[in-house]
Amino acid sequence: MQSIPTRILVEISLCVALAVVLNALTLLRMPYGGTVSLVMLPIIVIALRRGVFAGVTTGVIYGLIELMIDPVIVHPLQVVLDYVIAFGAVGVAGIFRTVYLRTAEANSRSIRGLALLFLAVALSSALRYCAHVVSGYIFFAQYAPAGQPAILYSALYNLFVPVSAIGVFAAAALTLPALHSVSLSRARGLNGGQD
Amino acid sequence: MRPPVPFGQYVPIDSPIHALDPRTKMGLMAAVGITLFTVEGFMGLGVVASMLLVVIALSRVPWHLVTRGLKAVTLLLSFTLLAHALRWEPATVSLVRLGPLAIDQGGLLQGLFFSARIVILVLGSTLLTLTSSPVEITDGLTRIMRPLERLKVPVGDIAMMLTIALRFIPTMAEEAEKIMVAQIARGARFDQRWPVSRARAYIPVLIPLFVNLFKRAEALAIAMEARCYTGGYGRTRLHQSTMTKTDISVLLAACLVLAVIAVTL
Repeated sequence: MQSIPTRILVEISLCVALAVVLNALTLLRMPYGGTVSLVMLPIIVIALRRGVFAGVTTGVIYGLIELMIDPVIVHPLQVVLDYVIAFGAVGVAGIFRTVYLRTAEANSRSIRGLALLFLAVALSSALRYCAHVVSGYIFFAQYAPAGQPAILYSALYNLFVPVSAIGVFAAAALTLPALHSVSLSRARGLNGGQD
Repeated sequence: MRPPVPFGQYVPIDSPIHALDPRTKMGLMAAVGITLFTVEGFMGLGVVASMLLVVIALSRVPWHLVTRGLKAVTLLLSFTLLAHALRWEPATVSLVRLGPLAIDQGGLLQGLFFSARIVILVLGSTLLTLTSSPVEITDGLTRIMRPLERLKVPVGDIAMMLTIALRFIPTMAEEAEKIMVAQIARGARFDQRWPVSRARAYIPVLIPLFVNLFKRAEALAIAMEARCYTGGYGRTRLHQSTMTKTDISVLLAACLVLAVIAVTL
């Protein structure tokens, strides 16, 4: 029984390793915790190269490793939301795979390609933001006295995600077209199969 | 400029806590978590905290490493404490008064209770990562998830991906450092203030990193298949971790004590 082809399995693993390294290269540290980094970039790259399944798997594995390396546990549900669901959701960017690869094939620097990339980054960051906000809401609702705007606290606290998204989009918009000619296109047409 | 190699916090010492199977430690952590969310008074928290202190002492891990995890939750802790303790125009018993602002006694106690719970949770989970290496945790996690294989969850593949990723974190960090140093030599700067300009500064690092990543993935996949890797299902390990009698008795005893605490206190 082999469910994930070796080639994709290895790519996922190496993208996870790169995400861990990029997470350490902080772009900006928020004054109250939470860091702005390019951690979402490898997950989005693998999602656009291999599709939603590979993207979500990369996110989830990254979450698990982050949990092993540097856990912050304040609530059981928070662990699942902040580590597994938040990063898994980033991989959903893979729904743009087919259309992005087709566009990039024609012209990797076209406005359309850039717009698709923007949509992919925006969608995955929005989903990640939602997961963190729900997790924060659970935390603040549990620990803040009743009657306080828990959802507002959480939305503010997690603002580092949209800020990261801007950096990730800037990096993706400049990296992916260059990568396309070298790496992305080779995965096209294989439909998740092995080279 | 050296990118920090983020490779866990594991402290390899020879201690009775290090010797426990990772599954035992994860089970204990889960039991402590459940107990913390069931106990209603300071008494229960106190007993769990003192048990944890004994375990920390037994693990012989330096204190400053155990408490380092608390830094990340400083804001959450102070928020929890202040949100409960501070009252605007208080109607209840107030300890200190400063104009319309006051510290409420009941609120302060409640804030302390919740903060203590967070502190115990954070210390417990930090201790787990301090006393078991990521590889051990992966191994334990895989063994715990094994029954999910019946539901077609590719547990073996997940274990393989975790293992490869952990193995390649230092390699990736080293490669990132090499490329960054090379770009600095060509005049690149990584110290801009704005995140977007910093992200842009990383472009000449990211492109070679990704290109090498996919090249390396190809080589590694070929090497694995040449050695007859056919998926994680049914793979065995060279160093098999086993649940010893000590593991089982520690787990059972601790769960029993925690269950009593959860029910009574």
